[in-house]
This record gives sequence, C-alpha cells and structure tokens, in this order.
Amino acid sequence: MNTFAIIQTLSVFDWFTGMQPTSQILVIIALAFGFYMAWNIGANDVANAMGTSVGSGALTLKKAIIVAAIFEFAGAYFVGSSVSNTIRKGIFDPALINEFYGEDGYLILAIGMIASLLAAGVWLQLASYFGWPVSTTHSIVGAVVGFGCVALGPTAINWGITDFSGVTAIASSWIISPVLAAAVSYLLFRIILKLIFFQPNPVKAAKKVAPFLVFITMFVMIAVTSFKGLKAFWKDAAWLENIQYFSNHKLGPTHPVALLITMAFAVITGVIGTVITSFMIRKIEDDPVESTQHFESVYVKRSVDKARKHLRRISSNTTGTNSSEASDLLMQLETLSSNIEKRSDPELTKSALQKVERIFVYLQILSACFVAFSHGANDVANAIGPLSAAVQTLHEGAIIAKSHVPEWALILGGVGIVIGLATWGWRVMETIGRRITELTPTRGFTAEFAAAITILIASLAGMPISTTHTLVGAVLGVGLARGIGAINLNTIRDIFASWIITIPAGACLAILFFYALKICFI
Amino acid sequence: MRTIAKLFGRSPFIPIQTHMDKIKQCVDLINPLTDAFLIHDMAKVEQVAEEISRLEHAADETKHDIQNALRKGMFLAVDRSKLLDIIAIQDGLAGKTENFATLLTIKALNCPDSIKDTFKSFLAKNLEAVAGVVEIVKRLDELLESSFGGAEAQQVAQMVHKVAVLEHEADVIQRSLLKSIFAHEKDFSHGEFYLWLRIFKQAGELANLSETLANKIRSTLELK
Repeated sequence: MNTFAIIQTLSVFDWFTGMQPTSQILVIIALAFGFYMAWNIGANDVANAMGTSVGSGALTLKKAIIVAAIFEFAGAYFVGSSVSNTIRKGIFDPALINEFYGEDGYLILAIGMIASLLAAGVWLQLASYFGWPVSTTHSIVGAVVGFGCVALGPTAINWGITDFSGVTAIASSWIISPVLAAAVSYLLFRIILKLIFFQPNPVKAAKKVAPFLVFITMFVMIAVTSFKGLKAFWKDAAWLENIQYFSNHKLGPTHPVALLITMAFAVITGVIGTVITSFMIRKIEDDPVESTQHFESVYVKRSVDKARKHLRRISSNTTGTNSSEASDLLMQLETLSSNIEKRSDPELTKSALQKVERIFVYLQILSACFVAFSHGANDVANAIGPLSAAVQTLHEGAIIAKSHVPEWALILGGVGIVIGLATWGWRVMETIGRRITELTPTRGFTAEFAAAITILIASLAGMPISTTHTLVGAVLGVGLARGIGAINLNTIRDIFASWIITIPAGACLAILFFYALKICFI
Repeated sequence: MRTIAKLFGRSPFIPIQTHMDKIKQCVDLINPLTDAFLIHDMAKVEQVAEEISRLEHAADETKHDIQNALRKGMFLAVDRSKLLDIIAIQDGLAGKTENFATLLTIKALNCPDSIKDTFKSFLAKNLEAVAGVVEIVKRLDELLESSFGGAEAQQVAQMVHKVAVLEHEADVIQRSLLKSIFAHEKDFSHGEFYLWLRIFKQAGELANLSETLANKIRSTLELK
C-alpha cells in the first residue's frame, strides 16, 4: 500500500501534464472546490462530535480539536469510500452522459460535479452565516440531483420510488437515521438508568458497567476500521505470501481468516481499553454506605412513620388508659425512628450522582471520538464523491464505467475537514459547547454512542445521511427517556423546514453554476 | 452544532427552585409577624406584612418567567401540566402567607395565654410542613439527574410522606386550638372571634398546600 502511494506521488507530475489544458484548469478548480466543501464540512459539522465534551469540561478546547482531527481523518480515510460511491453513482448513471453528449460527455460530468461542489459549499456557508440547521449531506445530494436534472432530464435520475433505491433510499435514510438513533439512545439510556441510576449504589454499579461499555465502543470502532478500511492490506498482503496456504488463496477482508484476525484484533483492543478504564475509574472511591442497608432503611422508615401516624391517631382519639398506653408506645417508636434516621443520609445520593457523572466523563470522550470517526466516514464523501468523479473523468478524458475512490481524494477530504475544524470549527465549538452543558456526561455518552452507531451503519451501507440530524434524533431519544430537562421541539420543525429548502436550493445553485461553467469551458 | 445547541430549551427546574426560594423568604416572615402581633406591636405587623406583600410580588415575576419558558413546543422531563401545577401551588403558598399577614393587620387581637402556646405550636407545625416541602423542591435538580427514579426518588417519596405526617399533626393541633378558642368564646366580640377563625384557617392552609405540593412532586417520580 505504501509503495503504491509513493509511486502515485512521483507520477503526479506526469499524470497532470498528460491532460488537456482545459482539463488541467478544471482539475485545479475541482480540487479547490472539493477542498472548499471539505473545509465547510469541518467548519460546520465537526463541532457536533466534540462540542458536548468541551461543554461538560471533559476535554479542553485544544485537546478536543486534536482528538477530533485524528478521528475525523481516520474515519474519512479508512471507511469513507462507500458513501462516496453512492453520491457519484447512486443518483444517476454517469454512463448516460455519454449517450447524451457524445465526446464532450466527460467535460459535462466534470463541470456538473464541480458545480455541485461549489453549490453545496456556498449554500453551507450561507446557512451557517444565518444559523440555519441545514445538513451538508442534503446540500450535496440536492446539488447533484439538480445537475442531473438539467444535464440529463428528470427521467434519467434514479428516483427509485418503485424499487426503493437511488434518491428515495437516500431521502428515506434521512428520516430513518434520526429515528433509529432516537430508538437506540432511548433504549441505551433506559438500560443505563436501570443498571446504574436506579441501583441502590449507583457509583458501584457505574464502575461495573463502564468498562463493558468501553469494550463495546472500542470493539465496534476497531472492527469496522479493519474490516472496511484495510481491504488493500488484506488483498496485497505480501507478508502472508511466505505462508504456503496463502500463496494459493486470495485473501479478502471477508475471508474467514481475515475476519478472525480482525475480530481478534478488535477484541484485544477492546480488552486493553477496558483495562485502562478500570484503572482510571478505580481512583473514584465507592460510596461509603453499603446500599442494601441504606435502601432497607427507606422502607423501614416508611413503615415506622406509618406506625407512628396510626399510634398518634389512637392516642388522640381515645381517652384514659388506652390513650396513655398509646402515648408510651409512641415515645418508644420515636426513639426507634430517630435511630433509623441516623442511618440514612439524604446528601448521599447527590455526591453519588456526581461520581457517576465523573466516571462517564471518560466514556463521553470515547464516544465523542466515535462520533468524529463516524462523521469522517460518512461526511467526507460529500466532498470526495463529486471531486473524485470530476478528477477521474478529466484524467481519463472519458467517463469510465468502473472506478474506485482514490486514496489521495480521501486524504484531501480528511485534510480539508481537519483544516475547516482548525480554522473555524473550534470557534463554533467554543461558543456553543458552553451552552449545552445540560448534556451531562451520561446523557452525552448515550446520545453520541447511539448517533455514532447509526452513522456507522449507514456509512457501511453506503447511505449519505445527515450526521447532525442523527445526533438530534439521539438527543431526543435521551429526552424521551426523561434524561433532559427541556427539549425545544421547535428545532425539529426548523429542521424539517431546512430540509425542504436545502434540496431545491442546492439544486438551483448547482444548475446556476453548471451553466456558468459550461459557458466558460465548452 | 448550532442545531444541537438550539435543541436544548431552558430547563425549568432551576427556576422553579429559585421561585421556591423566594416563597420561602416570604413564609419565613410569618414568625416575626406573629411575634409582633402577639405583643400588639401593630406598627411592626404592618411593616412585616408590607415586606411579605413585596416578596410575594417578586416571586410572581419569577413565576411568570417560568410560565413563559414552559410554552408549548417544549418537551420536558416532567409533564408540562404537572410543572405548571407545581408553580401554581408554590405561588399559592405565598398567597396564603400574604392573606395571613393581611388578616393580622386588621385589628390587634387579644390572645388568651392558654391559647397562645397552642397557636404558636400550630404555626410552627405549619411552617415545618412548608420547610419540608422546600427541602423536596431543593431535590428537584438531583431528581432530574437520576431521571426521577432510583434511590433519589425513594428518598424524596419518603420526604413527601414526612410532609403528609406534618400536615396531619397540624390538623390535630388545629382541632385542639379550635376547641380552646370556642371555650373562650365569650371573651371576644363576634367580629374578633370570626377574625381568629379566619386566621387559623389561613395558617392551616400552609400545611395543606405543602402536602398538595409534595404529592404533586411525588406524582412525577418513577417509583418501583
């Protein structure tokens, strides 16, 4: 893989000079706009992953940026390619352009993709200026659909209404993914409540559950990375050729041996993470009072109170010896009651809840990394899909039926996102991260974990989804489980409104830029 | 990111506690008020009553603030109508305090020594009930943190029960207080007698409302 990359770098010069002059200019424009789009993604969206961790004080801003950069890039580079393919080929068949335009077809496709990138980028910047809740994914899909409509006519678009594919599948995943994330986060939070918060001793319970949650998170992240991202590593596995068996058998990522190694690797990493977490949370001391006793006293006390109430009733409603006997009993009961009261300290749960949150700080950081990773995996495609389509067709001078997303494009996208994060995203994170402290570490972890899992599933299925809206769905799920004080449902209405506006807006801008570029270059 | 930040509404639980703090300041003035009343220092009574009235008004402003924040479209951890009820009952506590203060300003009344102590202990019991429910409201934010369940909820349920017991005790004292005042029937004019009854009734309302409020909060809990 490495030698491949070096050869590629060395031949960049030949690769570039071998093209038509027009193509050369277009390649530069495509790279610039692709980068612009990636920058926008980094500037607008990346804060989603880390903002809550900054808000809850789990990470400093600087650390958050570094961690986000690493995981965004890793996600983009290792898992980012499937979604790119959907954006490039899922909406319409690029081969159709040849039938429409003949020889100039490749230029049309390239210009269209460049126009889409510019349209989505401009729309995003406008939206973030006005603070509208638009999605990077919706913008680019809208733009590509718009281009397809004018270049090929609406009939050429794979609307997929009948067989549930193409645009229908993409659009429905925009609704399904937040709903799925909400369901996952609701269930996960109910489980956390049951296993930790509703336990007699929440701190002890949290210490038991936390390493297990770390294991799941690490396992999923590593398993997906190596399964999806190391295809080339398994295919060109030169290190395996010494072994007799593998010189005769091709080894893909789905080969049982590869799967086994992947799983083993994921398990080992998960275990390491678990062990580290266990050590870290060992510092947090247990609750001094043993729970059962503490809990018992609650019930016992209630019974004593009842007995006292009834005895009082007896003493006040009777006369003579009955009354005085009841008073005697009442006095004995008071002593018993005060003894029991000494054993239950109402301030105990307060500190216990704070300790649970402190344990979850570690988990929140981990889940934030997970979101950054998944976001990189899903959203890099919004810049890279059209970019690699444009550059590849320009280089070939024709529309090639079968193509893959080149590694350099994934790297460019990853770098663009990271630079967007470093130049503008941090400011968003700083200003808004502080405002959402309601997302305490337990809530933050739950929402982020649910969103990350959903986004990752969508990425593996090649579905470009809105990561922001998925995270919104996940937060709603926690809210439904009574985890959040107040949720403003008007935001959901705004999201739907922006959803309806973004797609036509992206499409219109793309059409505009497409015609402008067409006049300039063809 | 902005979208997610916008998703969070202002949590009403802290403002409810602020509201309760103001109510408590108001109720706390009952002791100096009654002390002044019992030694016939009507100027002081007047002054404290005015202070109570001012605090009640200040609490009202917080109340309106919360009611505005609880507008439609807010999805809350606790049913919106229950929260509005809680605020209304808290407001009622201040209202009853103000009524009580106003009744004391009407006329300097003689209090027979035999009744004085019972009256004081009756007031103390009522204030104890209020203090009990104030403690419960103070636990609201912790309840939110544990999602209204678990040991925290158990403890709050227990505190609610305590308030109920206090209310019952206040009732018992009120009964004996009424018996005493009827025994002294002839010492008062009709008007004075009627005023005493009104005063007792208003004071007793404090414990009643405290119990209602405590029960309202109990109904938000997720108990096993």
